[in-house]
Amino acid sequence: MDRAFWRARVIKNHLTQDPCTQTRSLSGAPCLEYSPPELAEPAAAFDVAAMRALLDGHNVAERDWLFGLMTQSKLFNPRRVGGRVFVAPDYNQSMEQQREMTMRRIEFLLERGVFEGWLTAGTAEGELRKLALQEVANMYDHSLAIKFGVHFFLWGGAIQFFGTERHHVKWLRDTENYVVKGCFAMTELGHGSNVRGIETVTTYDPRAREFIINTPCESAQKYWIGGAANHATHTVAFSQLNINGINQGVHAFIVQIRDADGNICPNIRIADCGHKIGLNGVDNGRIWFDNVRIPRENLLNSVADISPDGEYLSAIKDPDQRFAAFLAPLTAGRVILAASAIYSAKIGLAIAIRYALSRRAFSIAPNQPEVLLLDYPSHQQRLLPLLAKTYAMSFSANHLKMIYVKRTPELNKTIHILSSAFKASFTWHNMRTLQECREACGGQGLKTENRIGHLKGEKDVQSTFEGDNNVLMQQISKTLFAEYLVARKRNKPFKGLGLEHMNGPCPVLPQQLPSTVLRSDQFQVDAFHVRERDLLNRFAEEILQRQAQGERKEHALLSSYQLAEDLGRAFSERCVLQNFVEVEENSPAGSLKDMLALLRSMYALTCMEEDASFLRYGYLSTENAAAVRKEVAKLCSELRPHALALVNSFGIPDAYLSPIAFNWVEANSWSSVQH
Amino acid sequence: MASFSSSNGQEDQVLVEEKSFARTLILNRPEQLNAATDYMISRFLELLLLYEKDSNVKLVIVKGKGRAFSAGGDVTSAVHDINSGKWKSVAIFFRKNYTLHYLIATYSKPQVSIMNGIVMGGGAGCSTHGSFRVATENSVFSMPETALGLFPDVGASYFLSRLPGHFGEYLGLTGARLDGAEMLACGLATHFVPSAKLPSLEAALHTVDSSDQAVISAIIGEYSELPMLKEQSAYHRLDVINRCFSRRTVEDILSALEREATNKVDGWILASIQSLKKASPTSLKISLRSIREGRLQGVGQCLVREYRMVCHVIRGEVSKDFVEVLQLIRRLLYSLI
Repeated sequence: MDRAFWRARVIKNHLTQDPCTQTRSLSGAPCLEYSPPELAEPAAAFDVAAMRALLDGHNVAERDWLFGLMTQSKLFNPRRVGGRVFVAPDYNQSMEQQREMTMRRIEFLLERGVFEGWLTAGTAEGELRKLALQEVANMYDHSLAIKFGVHFFLWGGAIQFFGTERHHVKWLRDTENYVVKGCFAMTELGHGSNVRGIETVTTYDPRAREFIINTPCESAQKYWIGGAANHATHTVAFSQLNINGINQGVHAFIVQIRDADGNICPNIRIADCGHKIGLNGVDNGRIWFDNVRIPRENLLNSVADISPDGEYLSAIKDPDQRFAAFLAPLTAGRVILAASAIYSAKIGLAIAIRYALSRRAFSIAPNQPEVLLLDYPSHQQRLLPLLAKTYAMSFSANHLKMIYVKRTPELNKTIHILSSAFKASFTWHNMRTLQECREACGGQGLKTENRIGHLKGEKDVQSTFEGDNNVLMQQISKTLFAEYLVARKRNKPFKGLGLEHMNGPCPVLPQQLPSTVLRSDQFQVDAFHVRERDLLNRFAEEILQRQAQGERKEHALLSSYQLAEDLGRAFSERCVLQNFVEVEENSPAGSLKDMLALLRSMYALTCMEEDASFLRYGYLSTENAAAVRKEVAKLCSELRPHALALVNSFGIPDAYLSPIAFNWVEANSWSSVQH
Repeated sequence: MASFSSSNGQEDQVLVEEKSFARTLILNRPEQLNAATDYMISRFLELLLLYEKDSNVKLVIVKGKGRAFSAGGDVTSAVHDINSGKWKSVAIFFRKNYTLHYLIATYSKPQVSIMNGIVMGGGAGCSTHGSFRVATENSVFSMPETALGLFPDVGASYFLSRLPGHFGEYLGLTGARLDGAEMLACGLATHFVPSAKLPSLEAALHTVDSSDQAVISAIIGEYSELPMLKEQSAYHRLDVINRCFSRRTVEDILSALEREATNKVDGWILASIQSLKKASPTSLKISLRSIREGRLQGVGQCLVREYRMVCHVIRGEVSKDFVEVLQLIRRLLYSLI
């Protein structure tokens, strides 16, 4: 209605103007008015609630319950902007204030029963509920999720998986009720990714039946320990264990670092890591142990133990295997991160796309209203491929979570490699998406209140904590190489990790790639299989060749880093495509399935457009590559009318987006300033 | 008490006063506590639409004749229709009703509702969505639907869910009654004016010549007071209410209340437990979910969803509770003739 009125006025102005006079009287143009996307955009072509159920995967009602809990409490800083209520922490508070607020919010959630059963329920359903609630809290504030995440998943997880019955009985309930506040002291100033190289040393005193933990040098100080600087009372400390002159490798010990009154315990020194570019609601600390004595029982002994008189005991003889078994439980962190990175991307996209559906810039024809940002093909290409990738990764994150909560020991390797691949890919995707969304919102993207820009600083750490992304991706090629050796050298078929396609003949990609072929799942899957197969073969051959020339395997792996990188990406993207195809296949025929097909094609073709491997190793000809790129542009225009429904399907309540996703004119009005 | 309202004299059900730029709509069925008939809803809607386009109207005032503002929708004709299988005409009535509430919620001109008496059910729909709600010492607010096998509708999933903490769940599930002071405290009312000052307030409002919200707010402010909450008010115990009514399910809410009752016996806790136990269990669950979903939706979405829900209820698809209650009311009414 507003647009028609505006246009009528413009036309009237032209008609009533005297064309002969040279002087033009200045008449004020009608003011720019906000029009909500809902007015101009077509109604959703598919069932938005069903799409949300697919994207969230599980526990939709619980998620909404927690969203509601947070909007209804003053602790979560509700603010009225432009006639709407938004909840977000006040990031203008000092570091100390933000840390206090984070702790108080955790206490509130505890009191409301959010954490009930998190460590004591023990069912797959309970696990999924826990993951869902963590994802929602993360959408409110990253610091909040990290702070209780360290307590429940790292400290609590260590007790659960590294500890045994006596530890469970002693610590789990108190952890769930926050009687103790836990943190996780693994990383040191000198060692992060290389856990096995940490320098904290623990010895055993058989007469006192105590362990003595010590920080022998400055590089051994524990660093980045979330919760340690202000609040934590206990920690799981990782240390080399020296028994009878033999280094038995890295083990985990429970150490109390503060008493119930908050005073730091004797022989423990704690310092602050200081202000960060984000996550200032988390009190990261540094810890020095000065020959701290702890009871023998404080060794988390699921994998190895010490007898009272100091004999080292372990069922696993090989130290490498022991270490691997020890660290298998840490995959939870990677699974969680992969999923929460996607939710962060969703927030950025929901805001940027809604903004682009209401913000205009430049007319492209005389006397026409300015054009909506999202009506520009270039703007579509900036945001819609990222939207499709986010959908794709969302389905994969859910798939990973499902495997994880029902895990058996046989699935360990699969979970390890998938969680490594997805954690790396999805966190990088999130940072890229946030940057693009920030730019797409122009200056408004710089306001903390508008969330997107601020999320960049908050989420940046995701690419290096819980496993450096580059190191994680290298793990993929190493694992695939091992699979290759088993298959080729022992003449067994590839089994597991979706590598079965290597057993059949190499797919032949058609020379001509018309639209119908480009959009077929068969072609897309074949293309990804061709890439993965070829890269694995090249990578393995290069390693074997270097070894044949006398290079040590470890050195060969390092030298072949370029192929390793390409292979890691190929594997990861193939897994995501596979998961997407499954979700699409399981959908009943109808508008939702058609929508998924469109998004799946956008995902696959965008990957092909962006990965130089396809051209570099000749899986696509230059003509093919050009056709792919053209198809992506076509897909952008086909997705354009669905953009609003696609971001509505995220199910993120309005209060968790930001003012530029709604009436940003009203939000910035003078009357808003006065209230 | 039985309503055999004849078609002639229907026009009197809504009286209109025109004073300068203000229009006052008066709900005029005092013997039936201004229960809204189909005619009244239609007339109200018609007038509001007219006034929105009329540049000579800057302000709309709504009030009720007698001791009620409005006790809700008139159920008697609904009873008859549902029992004779004509649920669709009842649905049409609800649809019209909700359209009116949406119009009020999005009205471009200020509306002042003077709630000098009973405000229940549909009566809340006609007032709470408006820009200014004036409570008095005679006000009594309640959303009693769960006791009737229905659920708080008329956009209640929107306005109840936005009350402080989980007070909305408390009101919607227990049907608890609030007085004027409590209505102001929780935000259901925007102002409290003693009933003795109402004539002066209305006279002042009649002199308004702009639709500026700030101007109107200032005028009402001159007659407003800040009444003290009564000592036993449940609103003093918002901490307990939040603790109990934030729980995930109706069962959890009930057991949380029962646990509180063992610690400290507040009258309102016992009354709440009683109300919950007497209400239709299906109703309670539907109401809870409706309020929780409404918290995350806009007013239009809430009304659309509630309309869909109410159609299922009046068709008896959900449970027979509402239909049974209506039959009970019908028998009661017939017994009074």
